[in-house]
Amino acid sequence: MSLFIFNKRFLVCLIIGCLPFCWGASSDSLVSHWAYVTPEHPNFSRIDNPNPIDHFISERLRKDGMRLSRLAKPEKQLRRVYLDLIGRPPQPGESQSFLSNPSDLEYNSTVDRLLASPQYGEKWARRWLDLARYADSNGFQADQLRDSWAYRDWVIESLNSGMPLDRFTIEQLAGDLLPQSTISQKIATGFHRTPTCNVEAGVHPESNRINQVIDRVNTTGTVFLGTTFECAQCHDHKYDPISMKEYYQLFAFFNNTPLEVKNTSGVTWDFYGPKMDLPLSQLKLKKKNLLKEELKAFELEKKNIKRSLSIEQKVWEDEILHTLKDAPKWNVFHIGAFSSTGDSSYIVNQDQSVLVYGENPDSSTYKIIIKDPKLVRVTSIRLEALLDASMKKNGPGRNFEVSDNPNFVLNEFSLKVNGRKALFSDAKASFSQEKFDVLGAIDNDAKSGWAINPQFGKSHQAVFTLKQDLLLETGSRLEFKLVQNHGGGRTIGRFRLSGIQGDHSKVNLPTEIQSILLLSDNRNDTQIKRLANYYASIHPRLKVIEIRLADLKKKIDDIKPETTLIMSEMDKSRETKVMMRGDYLTPGDKVTPGTPAVLHAFDKTFPKNRLGLAQWLVDPDNPLTSRVFVNRWWSAFMGRGIVRTQEDFGTQGEVPTHPELLDWLAIELVQKGWSMKHIHKLIVTSHAYRQSSVTTKEHLKKDPANRLYARAPRVRMSAEMIRDSALATSGLLEPKMFGPPVYPPQPEGIWRHVGRNAPKFLPSENENRFRRAVYVVWRRGAPYASFVNFDAPDRGACVVDRARTNTPLQALTLLNDQAFVEMSLAFAARILQEPKLVNDEQRIQFAFRVALARNAKQVEVDYLKVLLRKRENQLIKSPKTIDALLSEAKWVPFKTNNQEGIAKWFTVANILLNLDEAITKG
Amino acid sequence: MTSRQYYLTETRREFLKYTGTGIGALGLASALNNNLYAASNNESVSFLNPHFVPKAKNVIYIHLVGGPSHLELFDHKPELIKRDGQKCPDHMFKGKQLAFIRDHPTLLGTRFKYNKYGQGGLALSEHLPLMGKMADHLAIVKTVRTEQFNHAPAQLFLHTGFERFGRPGLGSWVSYGLGTENRDLPSYVVLITGSVAGAGNSLWGSGFLPTLHQGVEFRSQGDPVLFLSNPKGISDQNRRDIISGINFLNETALADVGDPEIATRISQYELAYRMQASVPELMSINSETSSTLESYGAKPGNKSFANNCLLARRLVERGVRFVQLFDQGWDHHSGLFGSIPKKARQLDRPVAALISDLRERGLLDETLIVIGAEFGRTPMLQGLSNNRAANNVGRDHHKEAYSMIFAGGGIRGGTSYGETDELGYQAIDNPVHVHDINATILHQLGLNHERLTFKYQGRKFRLTDVHGDVINGILT
Repeated sequence: MSLFIFNKRFLVCLIIGCLPFCWGASSDSLVSHWAYVTPEHPNFSRIDNPNPIDHFISERLRKDGMRLSRLAKPEKQLRRVYLDLIGRPPQPGESQSFLSNPSDLEYNSTVDRLLASPQYGEKWARRWLDLARYADSNGFQADQLRDSWAYRDWVIESLNSGMPLDRFTIEQLAGDLLPQSTISQKIATGFHRTPTCNVEAGVHPESNRINQVIDRVNTTGTVFLGTTFECAQCHDHKYDPISMKEYYQLFAFFNNTPLEVKNTSGVTWDFYGPKMDLPLSQLKLKKKNLLKEELKAFELEKKNIKRSLSIEQKVWEDEILHTLKDAPKWNVFHIGAFSSTGDSSYIVNQDQSVLVYGENPDSSTYKIIIKDPKLVRVTSIRLEALLDASMKKNGPGRNFEVSDNPNFVLNEFSLKVNGRKALFSDAKASFSQEKFDVLGAIDNDAKSGWAINPQFGKSHQAVFTLKQDLLLETGSRLEFKLVQNHGGGRTIGRFRLSGIQGDHSKVNLPTEIQSILLLSDNRNDTQIKRLANYYASIHPRLKVIEIRLADLKKKIDDIKPETTLIMSEMDKSRETKVMMRGDYLTPGDKVTPGTPAVLHAFDKTFPKNRLGLAQWLVDPDNPLTSRVFVNRWWSAFMGRGIVRTQEDFGTQGEVPTHPELLDWLAIELVQKGWSMKHIHKLIVTSHAYRQSSVTTKEHLKKDPANRLYARAPRVRMSAEMIRDSALATSGLLEPKMFGPPVYPPQPEGIWRHVGRNAPKFLPSENENRFRRAVYVVWRRGAPYASFVNFDAPDRGACVVDRARTNTPLQALTLLNDQAFVEMSLAFAARILQEPKLVNDEQRIQFAFRVALARNAKQVEVDYLKVLLRKRENQLIKSPKTIDALLSEAKWVPFKTNNQEGIAKWFTVANILLNLDEAITKG
Repeated sequence: MTSRQYYLTETRREFLKYTGTGIGALGLASALNNNLYAASNNESVSFLNPHFVPKAKNVIYIHLVGGPSHLELFDHKPELIKRDGQKCPDHMFKGKQLAFIRDHPTLLGTRFKYNKYGQGGLALSEHLPLMGKMADHLAIVKTVRTEQFNHAPAQLFLHTGFERFGRPGLGSWVSYGLGTENRDLPSYVVLITGSVAGAGNSLWGSGFLPTLHQGVEFRSQGDPVLFLSNPKGISDQNRRDIISGINFLNETALADVGDPEIATRISQYELAYRMQASVPELMSINSETSSTLESYGAKPGNKSFANNCLLARRLVERGVRFVQLFDQGWDHHSGLFGSIPKKARQLDRPVAALISDLRERGLLDETLIVIGAEFGRTPMLQGLSNNRAANNVGRDHHKEAYSMIFAGGGIRGGTSYGETDELGYQAIDNPVHVHDINATILHQLGLNHERLTFKYQGRKFRLTDVHGDVINGILT
């Protein structure tokens, strides 16, 4: 079968003229390329080495006349294995038993403890999340956030619980297709819901979906098979035996999930892929139940009140009727004089209303003089805007412009009494147009004002409450001013002014209710009901209860479950066709799900869907998956892969440096129940891992690149390890696990995307500020700034191996990033707080043990002591800098008040956190 | 072997880790170069090592984010004006994918005049009079075609040759190929006005190339480079003491462990310290003469495109290889005729000043200026066909043909290259693909786009995929 493939490939190569490429991959290598052959158990004797890893490494070294180095110092071993297994250095007091008795037994028990620590999953999740291109945002324009963190938590939990990797694989690729799949298995499918998703206006959802499926196919190839399928999208693979047809057969496995972009309104598109509700957290559930109990209590009280409501209502009715009889009444003011700006005409009607007509100027201010109003104590003023046939629809506004809407805008309503300004405290209108509330007429803002669109053709009134009662003596003079400057002739056509003595609010009943009340016993059923409803609506206690009930209902509704993105198969599967030149608009032949012929066979019992594909991937016959997994771990521990091209096990990849070791580890993985922890323990307990990292002249001569492991590697830590280690050193590390992403400080202005719903970065001001890196929000368009400087990818696509650079930006980050400045200050405080340290030398020693897990050398101590003295003098000279520096750590909960000491020891803390040693696993 | 010699060996080895064997002299020099930007502090760091004699050393690439209308600015179409308001021919709509237009649209002629400039009589919009004065330096390519019609994918496609995430952009490729000439500054600097383009920071991320080659944004707000300034209460002297302390302890470790990475880190801390002084100096345009400031329309303290053009000159003057400008606000789905004059005014003066300033300083010959966008605009109207008010009409995204401008390093000025049909819809003569644009830019820098490769996931990747032809018609 594979021979046939080769022949076909060869032919294609001839045709497209890339023979030289094919020639490089000779016929032998295509037919029996090592990586496509199932690993074989190597023959070896275990006598000389308890750990087979050391057997393979030593054998290979011997060929080049080298051997393993001696074991590293115990404290170095300890720091190395802490960093590798839980992602932070050991703290003073931890694993003391190993340091005092560095035996294999103690070392192994330390390893067991670390493997069982919940921090193991937090450390190892990072690598998997790079592969899974996990992020908290969609990518592309706007780059909105959407929740998928439950998947991140699933990865951490699964690694911690030691979930076998075959299950780990199956649940992530096809958890939703397992019989009676659990919530957890569905969350796992978030693995393939991470591809970027474009929701910018103008997107074509199908093209977006195709891109996502392509991403799923390519990522699956890279993550589980160490194979690049991508080339075969547009043509048969140039180097590896994968045809274009086979590519689309893999594509077919993933082609049955729904569109993830939906047109929500107009040109607005939203992210719309399948989501699942997560179970409510204990805390939320408790809160919800408490609220429900409260709700029940209020409902009961409401019921009780309603029972006795009719009696209360009768009392109220009597009272109101009584009040109505001698209620204060509006007294219409008699017009003394009227004038208006512009050339309008006017007459004063018998009812003392003023009708303005004739010319309609763009804007107009009315002035009205009232002489001796014959009232003693005025509490409110009423302005009525009345109807008249001279206006369209009878008014009450004069606006004739464009729309025939007889509106008016009263921008300012003011009153002077005997030349002194009277102030209003409130204004209420029968109706106010949206954004034109009547309060705008008394706010001293000539732009705002009262208008009534669309309630034309009916009278309106506004009541202005005076701030202080007007005490009027005989002969008082009132001067009203109505400013109407909105333009377009929006002025009041007919109006009338009145004043009231005493409290008018008591009779401030709706007219309808008033008349029903006055009917006394002659009310019909509807009227009785209407009155009862009205009374219930103003009943003081019921009113409170209704507000509380509405509030509680909203609160209960607001306790929604968190959600997460999951894969879900459509009822009807899509037809898959080869896409000519990779373009979905040019479909070719139809294909059905299938796997590349060069690899192991697809078992007939496997279903032809994602579940079957996952089962095929973890089939023990698969020559790749187990090798690819162990190789990536080896690289993480040892600095480089046995196959250095971790992402490419194809013919263009490098051959393994230790093929037997690779195969032995791969077989061991499968035989020991796909246990990642088992392989990790094997590696970290090997002599090869525990040996010294010191580079000798012989090393430089014979193997400068350390391909054969005659010494342990020295490797700069990842961005995440650097953060976590500095947090641990500073004492700030918050152990809280899981949940929505956290926002430690970063400079302002890094999140500044365009578009709607663009999220904002608000730094956490509680313990979330100091949580591990794996929980930090990952926005693809602008990942966390300090991580980027330490080579973190944007997670827009699957990343197997991060670059490790060494740049000045990294120096600036550790020196000046607020997050690290806070940690330096907290570390300084921690040094000061430590009891039983009597002098600076002891404090320096303590600081070294905390940050570097070793004692300081004398030369280091001496240097830092001199520096501390210098720093002390600086602080004496400029004490103000202490407050300034300390203000950088607003959210750090210091346990000491020795601010001067913190400022002094900041120097040492800052230096230690910046050391090459502090950010290197050595 | 001294640690420095050892370091160089190590560098070579590290480089091979990324590239595999057999890449030839280019890669090796490049590797030394890259790491020297990052490391060496006492030797010249000029490592221009191209495939052939370059025409330009630096690039200033101005991306007008959103996609300006070529029909209002660069490509004069009298027939389109004549047929304004008519339904567009079927081939421009039927079976085509458009971002926003859904109903058969009408044609929209420009309402602006075009003037002829320079000895070659290059036609430019009346709203670009100062650039017109530079016409004898400009080459307009009128037939650029892209494959994407939404912003973020089209931006990625223009810069990385690929419409999805994960690939390095042009600036990163150039940095990888040529390194920097200034040991104190990154080789690839990004300057932004307005909000960030849709594809975000990934536009200048290094993709699968070592992150050393990613663009470093110099910001006009806050620290010009992230984390550049000391915390409050830490003086320059304190900082010096701390860095000396770090380096003293690192040197002790180097003596013990012998890892050359430590030597590199020591120089990086010294470089970081120097950057704390040199970058603010670079970003401060106070030292420019008032006539220079005026010619650009730049003002110290402003966050403007004009300021960024002036900064671009200061950056190439100091040997920064690739300066990328992004200017937001060219996505005119509506209000086209109101917005274009405003945006054109913001563009016209600074670009003209940049060209003449570089020329006066003798830098124009070695600096390639590119003005481009992710796509152009449709000759068809977007909006209601019956409302053609200036503040209503706009144009949709258009991938079939649009214009890009070149000037400086090895460009034949006064050139109009390629021709679109009478309605400005697609090329009828000398079509140019985005890959050709990228091939040409690399070519001017002395890089063969087919040989500038990086091996990743078992494949040699190129910026131009398997395409790209140098546009010889615009070159001297």
